[in-house]
Amino acid sequence: MVAELGQMDAIDVHHIDAATGRIVITQEAETISDEVDGLKRIRALPGIILAEMSYHNFEDDTELLQGIPAELEGEDLDSIKVPGFLNE
Amino acid sequence: MDVTRREFLKTSAAAATATAAGITVPAAALAQSKEAEADVQWDKSVCRFCGTGCGIMVGTRDGRIVATKGDPDAPVNKGLNCIKGYFNGKIGYGKDRLTRPLMRMKDGKFDKQGKFQAVSWEQAFDEMEKQFKQTYQEMGPHGVAIFGSGQYTIPEGYVSAKLMKAGFRSNNIDPNARHCMASAVVGFIQTFGIDEPAGNYDDIEHTDTVVTWGANMAECHPILWARVSDRRLTNDNVRLVNLTTMSNQTSDIADTEIIFKPGTDLAIQNYLLREIIRRDAVNQAFVDKHCVFATGPYDIGYGMRATDKFCYDAEKDIQAKELKVTLDKDEAIAQRRKAGEVVEQKNTRKPVKHWMIGFEDFKKGVEPYTLDFVAEMSRGDPDEDLETYKGKLKALADLYVDQNRKVTSFWTMGFNQHYRGSWVNEQIYAIHLLLGKQCMPGNGAFSLTGQPSACGTAREVGTFAHRLPADLVVFNPKHRAFSEDLWKVPARTLNPKVGSHITKIMRDLEDGSVKWAWVQVNNPFQATANANHWIEAARNMDNFIVVSDPYPTVSAKVADLILPTAMIFEKWGLYGNAERRTQAWRQQVAPPGEAMGDVWQGLEFAKRFKLKEVWGEHKVPGLKAEGFEDGKLPSVLAEAEKMGYSPEDTLYDVLFANAENRKVKWPDKSVAKGHANHIAEKLGDGWFPEKALFDEYRQFGVGHAHDLAEFDVYYGDDVRGLKWPVVDGKETQWRFNEKYDPYCAKGSGFDFYGKALKALPSGDLDKVTRAEKTSLAGKAKIFFRPYAAPPEKPDDNYDLWLNTGRVLEHWHTGTMTRRVPELHRAVPTAVIFMHPDDASKRGLQRKDVAWLESRRGKIKAVVETQGRNRMPRGYTFVPFFDEGVFVNKLCLDVTCPMSKETDFKKAAVKVYKA
Repeated sequence: MVAELGQMDAIDVHHIDAATGRIVITQEAETISDEVDGLKRIRALPGIILAEMSYHNFEDDTELLQGIPAELEGEDLDSIKVPGFLNE
Repeated sequence: MDVTRREFLKTSAAAATATAAGITVPAAALAQSKEAEADVQWDKSVCRFCGTGCGIMVGTRDGRIVATKGDPDAPVNKGLNCIKGYFNGKIGYGKDRLTRPLMRMKDGKFDKQGKFQAVSWEQAFDEMEKQFKQTYQEMGPHGVAIFGSGQYTIPEGYVSAKLMKAGFRSNNIDPNARHCMASAVVGFIQTFGIDEPAGNYDDIEHTDTVVTWGANMAECHPILWARVSDRRLTNDNVRLVNLTTMSNQTSDIADTEIIFKPGTDLAIQNYLLREIIRRDAVNQAFVDKHCVFATGPYDIGYGMRATDKFCYDAEKDIQAKELKVTLDKDEAIAQRRKAGEVVEQKNTRKPVKHWMIGFEDFKKGVEPYTLDFVAEMSRGDPDEDLETYKGKLKALADLYVDQNRKVTSFWTMGFNQHYRGSWVNEQIYAIHLLLGKQCMPGNGAFSLTGQPSACGTAREVGTFAHRLPADLVVFNPKHRAFSEDLWKVPARTLNPKVGSHITKIMRDLEDGSVKWAWVQVNNPFQATANANHWIEAARNMDNFIVVSDPYPTVSAKVADLILPTAMIFEKWGLYGNAERRTQAWRQQVAPPGEAMGDVWQGLEFAKRFKLKEVWGEHKVPGLKAEGFEDGKLPSVLAEAEKMGYSPEDTLYDVLFANAENRKVKWPDKSVAKGHANHIAEKLGDGWFPEKALFDEYRQFGVGHAHDLAEFDVYYGDDVRGLKWPVVDGKETQWRFNEKYDPYCAKGSGFDFYGKALKALPSGDLDKVTRAEKTSLAGKAKIFFRPYAAPPEKPDDNYDLWLNTGRVLEHWHTGTMTRRVPELHRAVPTAVIFMHPDDASKRGLQRKDVAWLESRRGKIKAVVETQGRNRMPRGYTFVPFFDEGVFVNKLCLDVTCPMSKETDFKKAAVKVYKA
């Protein structure tokens, strides 16, 4: 299983505790949706019982300030102080 | 980011995680980890979302949040995060964050039909004040209302409750927590005489058996579920049973899954009670010493309005059941009556009244609930063989009665959002009490909570229409006197008449009896069942609605004025989680633009009211209380002057920034550690409102079994929250158990010392036979409550059940989690989960768009026949987070008549191709 994890893209296995079966990995992803997909792939591996996130670094994440909910996409972003759809 | 920095960060994250998981890490890795984080300021905090109360560490750099991690020192989550918790740092950075007050305007002034335009805070407060004063003068204290929250920080809830109750003399403040755990509260008060759980999360590691009743913990309390899973997987003896109306992710790891028909949990509980007696498993010594038996009336209605005046035509048949119910076959057997009998609902006004009964009566009550009867009526999956289902019920009883087995029962909205929510809560305690498996490590019934401070704020501070802090209630003259004394306000300032619960505030807007409302820290126009009515009322009636919100939510859209509001890490605060743990955090970053915290908004508004405007005489229709003239609140201005107040003093001066509180200084030298406080700084008058108000508030509970520590204690570097009562600096692990709880009488073993409702008349299963009250001090009550059928069930027209709830990725109405683009993409819209046969029968396939229609409205959504929820035939499930799939338009606003909590879990719908 550790070998399988190691072969996955952008995943590094850092620590393994044989006694409790706990494994610590990091994964890198361009976007957090890739990150979430990655977690789903890990959960789907045979022998994995639980996989949870612990530490999240997003210091270089520019998407943070660009992302808007789908229902707002296409809105004139200059009007964000009065979101367009509030006046619909 | 260069390669070295990237590697650094990875090593650092891995080292921190490994430490949290108890894995030894080489010293070099630790050192490197420290170096990588050298320019990030870390501070302890709490997750913004559910009631679990996970500790998280928030990392900031240059005034921005750049990282978060599960707090390895937090006993709740031990370093883990669920996916929502993982994204805490991002919820404040949505592109459509509101940064200026917005008001509906036409020709330069407020107009209810106008369009939103940015205005100054001054203009916003001016209009808000003008509208308030107009309504207040016209209608009195009950013409205004606040929609409060289980997500208020403790100081926020305290400001709003005190302003409303002691300032405006109105009890029309009620939180969205009403929708979430009011039934749990009634269960606690009725059974134990005091609110909130006896046990704590460590029960998970102590128990051998976890039974979930209407709680999809795997999705809704994932971190606690990780602890349960860990316990199960490291211990062969441990058993998990999931009682549910659909196959969900909690079933995946459960040993037994029991799928029952909506509402029949009441019958299954009675089957278990009957089995405990039949198998001679009653813990007689425990029951004799610590318990009494009780029951109450059955004809209590369903919390609907008594009139059909406001109903759409299609709603009228269900509304009629508020007055008269025709018993179905199962109900008749369960209630020892005849099928077809019409029962007038005579106790809709006093549904909580109850009386003591003898054990023989109790036995007689549960006698009809045989395995055959209960199995046949409660089997939820029509494709499951009846004998297999019976075997599961029997196995469940085996686990509960096993003398060598500890049992922890968990529940959430399946019990609480129930037309008999208070009853199912009472009955889970009945099971545990009868077995003597309560208030001990690993043994107990434990109510999980949905919101981060439903316990800490909504319940403990008492931001409900009937409550005051620390379990005090407005209709008890002694409680009012105690509160008036502590708040230094004149006697008879507080209004003895219970205000409107949250659903009733909506109904009040519809019938015009509330004309001014302020929405704080919640999204009631999306979250309240039967939403079409309330949205129409907000837009079309003569009223003024203020919404404080960081984002343009459904509620903001229907508002007249929107106040841009600071979010969790932009302010100081404290939350209290489901295990009585109070946790605190500091402001980490400044709010964006002109957004301001709720505490500041409340305090600024209070500055605009002089005592003479609010403490004079008021009419309060329906007020009837000893010491009060009917329908009237007296003027307390003369008394106020005797106390040294001037009629010209403002509510801000008297209730908040008074001499005592101004002694608590900002800038703070004890706990601030360089962190800013945008509220104290904007007020600019040198006091520290969060600290002053918390330390004032805690006096309500000290010495009354609700003891909280002082403000500063919660900010200690080593403290990760404390479970109240905190006595002599020590938290309490298991309440009512002498070994752990300092409030228990010496030598009692167990002491159910809660004081509420502890003197009762006596009677039989149907009525009171002896009016004289007997004291049951120190004891808990074991209730008999019969099965009652849901008021709305599938029929030929609306032929499917509709259940609603959460998904893992989104929290509540999605106003925060949908602003995290990745969570939004992970689960962009709500879908209709249904059985593939039900879909194909309607000419539908997976991914087709379908109409979903109830008596109250219709919505469109995509059909899903696979995925995480597998529905039995006849059932649908739609998550409620998505305003685009506005499922609360379909839900029925039936409430438990005792708790007034809405049943969001049982409506009848039809589905057809769009």
